[in-house]
Amino acid sequence: MICRSKNRIGLSASTKTTILLSVVFFFVCFAPEVSAQKKFSRAFPTGQNVRLRLMNRTGTVTVVGWNRAEINISATLEAPAAVIVPQSLSGEIVINIVRDNQGRNEVGNVNFTIRVPYDAMVDIETRIGNLSVSNVRSSLVRARISSEGDIELTNIISNAVSAENGLGNIFFDGEIQENGSYRFSSMRGDINLRIPFTSSFRLVATAPSTRNISLGSFANTNMNYLGDGRRVVGRFGDGSATITVTNQRGSIGFLRR
Amino acid sequence: MNCDECKNLIGVFMDNELEETQASAIRMHLAACTECAGVCEDLASILDVCTTEPSSEILPPNSQALWCRINNIIESEIKPPPPVEQPRRRFWQLSFAQLSAAVLCIAVVSSLLTVVAIRNYTQPKTDDFTTRSAATQTTFEKVLSKVGLVDTPQQARDRRLKEQQAAIEYWNERVQSRRVQWDRATRDAFDRNMQVINDSVNDYTMILQQDPEDELSGEMLDSVLNDKMNLLRDFADL
Repeated sequence: MICRSKNRIGLSASTKTTILLSVVFFFVCFAPEVSAQKKFSRAFPTGQNVRLRLMNRTGTVTVVGWNRAEINISATLEAPAAVIVPQSLSGEIVINIVRDNQGRNEVGNVNFTIRVPYDAMVDIETRIGNLSVSNVRSSLVRARISSEGDIELTNIISNAVSAENGLGNIFFDGEIQENGSYRFSSMRGDINLRIPFTSSFRLVATAPSTRNISLGSFANTNMNYLGDGRRVVGRFGDGSATITVTNQRGSIGFLRR
Repeated sequence: MNCDECKNLIGVFMDNELEETQASAIRMHLAACTECAGVCEDLASILDVCTTEPSSEILPPNSQALWCRINNIIESEIKPPPPVEQPRRRFWQLSFAQLSAAVLCIAVVSSLLTVVAIRNYTQPKTDDFTTRSAATQTTFEKVLSKVGLVDTPQQARDRRLKEQQAAIEYWNERVQSRRVQWDRATRDAFDRNMQVINDSVNDYTMILQQDPEDELSGEMLDSVLNDKMNLLRDFADL
C-alpha cells in the first residue's frame, strides 16, 4: 500500500510537471498567434432588395441567408490585420478589402461570416480563398475567385448565378429558374451541379482537356457531343434557362437533386 | 378807240412803250369802258406779282432731275417688248460629259455606302473572333474576305490575339513591379495559377497550329487569355 501510494504520488508529480510544461509550451508557442487574431463585427439593418458586395483579398467568405432584415458581418482578422471599412450605400453594403488595404505589403487573411436576408443579392469576390453561399433566394448570386479556392453554392434559388475560379472546385446545389442564366467556369478542378430533374435548360458544357462531361440523369437525345467529346450542347426540358459550364482542365458533372 | 384795239395795245401800254397820243386814247377808253378797265387791272395785278416774288422761287427746277422724271414716265408708259422664249431643254437631254459624270458620281457614292454598310453590319462580334472558322463562313462572307472588306476568321483571331497580348504585357509589367511586396503565399498562388493558364495557352496554340480550323480551341484560347488578363489585373491591385 505504501509503495503503491508512493508510486501514485510519484506518478502524479511527474504528470503534473509534464502538464505544466505542456501548458507553458503551448502558451509560449501559440499565445502570440492567438493574441494576433482580431475580431470584427458590424450589423446593418436592411430593406427590400439589398445587395451585398464583398471584395476580399485572402481568406474564406461564408454567406448564409437568414430570416431577418439585417446583414450581419463578422470576421476574424489574422495578423497583420486588414483594414475593414464597410459602407452602406443606398440599398447596398460594400466591403472592399483590396481597396481599403491597397499599398500595404502584407495583409493577413480575413475570414468572413456574413448573414444576409434570404432575398439579398450576393456578389462576393476574393483573390485567394474559399467562397461559400447558402440559403439565398434572390435575383443574383455571384462568386468569383481570382486564383485558388473552392466555391460552394448550396440551396440557391436565383435566376442569375455565376461562379468562377482558377484552381479549385465548384459545387452548385440549387434550382434552375425559368429564363435564368447560370454560368460556371474554372481553370482546373471539378465542377458539379446538383439540380432538380424537373429543371429545363439549354446547356453548353465544355471540358476541352479532360473531355469528362457527365450528364448523369440529364443525358438525353437532345444532347450532342461536339469536337470529339470536348463539348456538350443540348436542351433538357423546354430549355428556357441557360447553363454554361467551362472547365479548362477538369471535369463537369450533373447530379440529380 | 374801241375795246378790241384797247385790248391789243394794253400790254404795250402797261410796259409804257406806247406813244403819248395812243396812250392818252387808251386812258380815255379805260375811263369810259369798265370791261377794258377790269382787264387792265387784272394785267396790272399780274405784273405786280411778277415783279414782287423772289427770283429763287421762279427758277426752274433741276433740269437733270426733271429729265430723269420725264424719262421714267416715258419708259413706264412704253410697253416692254415681249421676252423672246428660249427653247426649253429637257432634263434628259444632257451632254455626254454631263451624263457620264453623273453616272460616275452615283457609282462612287453607292460604292462608298455599300462599303460602310458592309463594314458596320458584317463585323463579327468580339465573341466571334476566335469561334469562327473558314468552314463556317458564308459565300458572301468569303467574297467579302477576298475583296478585303471583312477579316477572315484567321485574321480576326490574329488581331484579337495581338490585342490580348498587348493588354497582358501591360498588366504583367504592373504585376512584376508589385510582386516583390507580396507575401510568399500570394506569390506561390499566383505562380501556380499562371502556370496552369500558360499550359493551356500552349496546348491550344499547338492544336491551332496543327488545325487552324478548330473552332473550339480558338474559342478556348480566347477564353484562357482573358483569364490570364484578369488574373494579372486582379493581382496588380495587391
